[in-house]
Amino acid sequence: MVALYRLGAGSSALSTQDIRRLLTAALLLGATILVVVSLSAAWLVARDQEYTGWVNHTYTVERHISRFSVLFERAEAARRGYLLTHDDLYRVGYRGSATALPKELEALQALTGDNPRELAAITELEPLLSSKLNTLQASMREAQSQSMAAPTDAATLEQDQPLVSQIRELLARMVAEENRLLQIRTERQTANAELLLAAVLTAGALLALLSIGAVILVRRYAADLDGSQNELRRVNEGLEQAVADRTADLTRANDEIQRFAYIVSHDLRSPLVNVMGFTSELELSLKPLQALLTEVEEKAPAIALKAAREAVQSDFPESINFIRSSTRKMDRLINAILKLSREGRRTLTPEQLDMGALFSGIVDSLQHTAVERGAEIVIEGPLPPISSDRLAVEQVFSNLIENALKYAKPGRPGRIVVRGRAIPTGVVFEIEDNGRGIAPADHERIFELFRRSGAQDQPGEGIGLAHVRALIYRLGGSITLDSELDRGSTFRISLPRTLLRDRDSTA
Amino acid sequence: MIEDDDGHARLIERNIRRAGISNTIHHFTDGTSALDFIFNGADGPVLNGPAMVLLDLNLPDMSGTDILTRIKSVDKLKRTPVVVLTTTDDKVEIQRCYDLGCNVYITKPVNYEAFADAIRQLGLFLAVIQVPEVVE
Repeated sequence: MVALYRLGAGSSALSTQDIRRLLTAALLLGATILVVVSLSAAWLVARDQEYTGWVNHTYTVERHISRFSVLFERAEAARRGYLLTHDDLYRVGYRGSATALPKELEALQALTGDNPRELAAITELEPLLSSKLNTLQASMREAQSQSMAAPTDAATLEQDQPLVSQIRELLARMVAEENRLLQIRTERQTANAELLLAAVLTAGALLALLSIGAVILVRRYAADLDGSQNELRRVNEGLEQAVADRTADLTRANDEIQRFAYIVSHDLRSPLVNVMGFTSELELSLKPLQALLTEVEEKAPAIALKAAREAVQSDFPESINFIRSSTRKMDRLINAILKLSREGRRTLTPEQLDMGALFSGIVDSLQHTAVERGAEIVIEGPLPPISSDRLAVEQVFSNLIENALKYAKPGRPGRIVVRGRAIPTGVVFEIEDNGRGIAPADHERIFELFRRSGAQDQPGEGIGLAHVRALIYRLGGSITLDSELDRGSTFRISLPRTLLRDRDSTA
Repeated sequence: MIEDDDGHARLIERNIRRAGISNTIHHFTDGTSALDFIFNGADGPVLNGPAMVLLDLNLPDMSGTDILTRIKSVDKLKRTPVVVLTTTDDKVEIQRCYDLGCNVYITKPVNYEAFADAIRQLGLFLAVIQVPEVVE
C-alpha cells in the first residue's frame, strides 16, 4: 500500500489533477481566442467594407467633379464656338452643358454633405457658377441679337477670365481634397487589411501554440497514465505474490504444527508403552512374591517381616495402580492430541447439508443419553442449509449437544434448543441449554485444550470444545458463548454458507 | 527383531517366549547393524536359512520401510515373512508397507494387556506359520 501512495505523488512533477486543469485551461483559452478572433475578424471585415465604401464614395465624388469640370469646360468652349461662328450647333451644346451644370453641382453637394471643406468649396462655387452662367447667358443672348454680325472680339471672350480661373481653381481644390481623402481612406483600408491579416495570423499562431501545448500535455498525461498503470500492475502482482507467500507461510506453519503434534504424540507413545508394559510385568512378578509371602507366613511366621508384608501386599499394588491410572490418563491425552492433529490434517470435502436432517440424526443418536438424564432436545423451526464438510459439522454439533446434556443443572430437567438462521455473511446456529452455565472468567478458557470449568464431576479430558473450535475455524466459522452460572449457556456458531474446497490437500 | 526401543524389545521378547516360541531372537536397535546381520551374518538369514523379521518402522538411522524394501528386493529373502510392529497407525503408511511386501502389520497398543495379548497371539501364530525353504 505504501508503494501505491507513493505512486500518485512521486512519478512525475505534474499530478494528474494539474494536467487535467491545464488541459481544461488550454481548451478554454483556445475557445476564447477563437471567439475573439472571429469577432474581431467580423468587425475588421465590416470596417473594411465601410472603408471600401468610402473609397468608392471618393471615387464617385471625383468622377462627379471631373464630369462637372468637363461640362464646365464644354460650356465655355461651346460659348466660344458660338460667339466665334454663331453656329447653332454650339448653342445647343452650350445649353446642354449649362442645364447639366447646376444639377451636377446639386449632386456633388448631396454627395459631399459630410465634408465641410467640400461643402464650403461648393458654396463658394455656387454663386461663381451662377454668375458665370449668367455672364455666359448674357453674352450668348447678346451674340444672338447681334446676329450674324462680326465675331465677338477677344476682349469680350476674355472678360470673365478671372471667374473661370477661379472656378477652375476651386474645382482643382475639390479634386485635391478628394485625393487627400482618398489617400487617407486607402491608407486606412490598407491598415485595416493589415490588421485583419495580423489578427488572423496571431490567432492562428496562438491556436497552433495551444494545440502543440495540449498535444504535449496529453501525451505526457498518457505517458504518466501508462506509467501509473504499469506501476499499479507491478504493485498488484507484488501484492498477490505477497499474499500468496504469506498464505503459503501460514499453511506451512500450520502444517508444521500439525506434524509436530503428530510426531510428539507418536513419540510420547513409545515410552508410554514401556511404562505400562513394565508396570504390568511388575504386577506379574509380584504374584509369585505374594504367593511366597503367604507360604512363609504359613510355614515360618517368624521370618515374615511386617515391612515386607506391607510392601508386597499394599505398597506395591498401590504404586502400580497410581502408575497405571497416570499412564492411562497420559494415553488419553496423547490420543486426544493425535485425534486433533489428525482432524486438522483431514481434507475437508464440502457437500450440501440439510441441517434439519443432520440435527435430527444427532438428536436420535443422543436420544438414549437424553432419556437417561431426563432431558429433551428441541429443534426449533426450519434450519438454513449449508454446504460444508459433513463429518466436521456433525462432530461440532454432536459435541455441543452432548456437552449440554452432560452439564445439566442437577435437579432441573434439561431442555436443549437448537435454532438457526441465515445472516448476510452466512448462517448462525444456536445451541441453548438451561444447564449449570459457565462462569464468565472461564468463557475463553473452556475452548483451550485440556481446560475444563466448574465442578469436575463428569468424565472428560477437556478436549471437546478445543476440538469444536478448531473444527469451526477450519470450516471458516467462529463460535461465541453467552452463559451465566446456574442459568444455562448458549453457544452461537456462525459458518459460511458455502465452504471453499481446501486449496491444499496436503494432509 | 529390529527395534530401537530396548524396553519394547524386551516386552516383545518376553511375550513371545510366554507364547512358547523358543527360537533364537537376534535383537538390533538400528537399521545398519540389522541389515549387516541379515546379509552378512554367519547365522543370518541369507547365509543360514529361514528366519522371520520383526520390524519397527521408527529407527534412528533409517526408515523401517527402507529395510523392508531391501529385504523384499533380494531373491533369497523375498519369501521371508516380515511382521511390522510399530506405533504408527497412519493408514497411508500401513498401505505402503503391505505394498512393499510386508506380511503382517501390527500397531503396538498402548494398553499393555492388549499389547501383550497381541504379541502372544503373534507368537501362537508364528508357531503354526509355515516358513518357506530358502532357495539355494
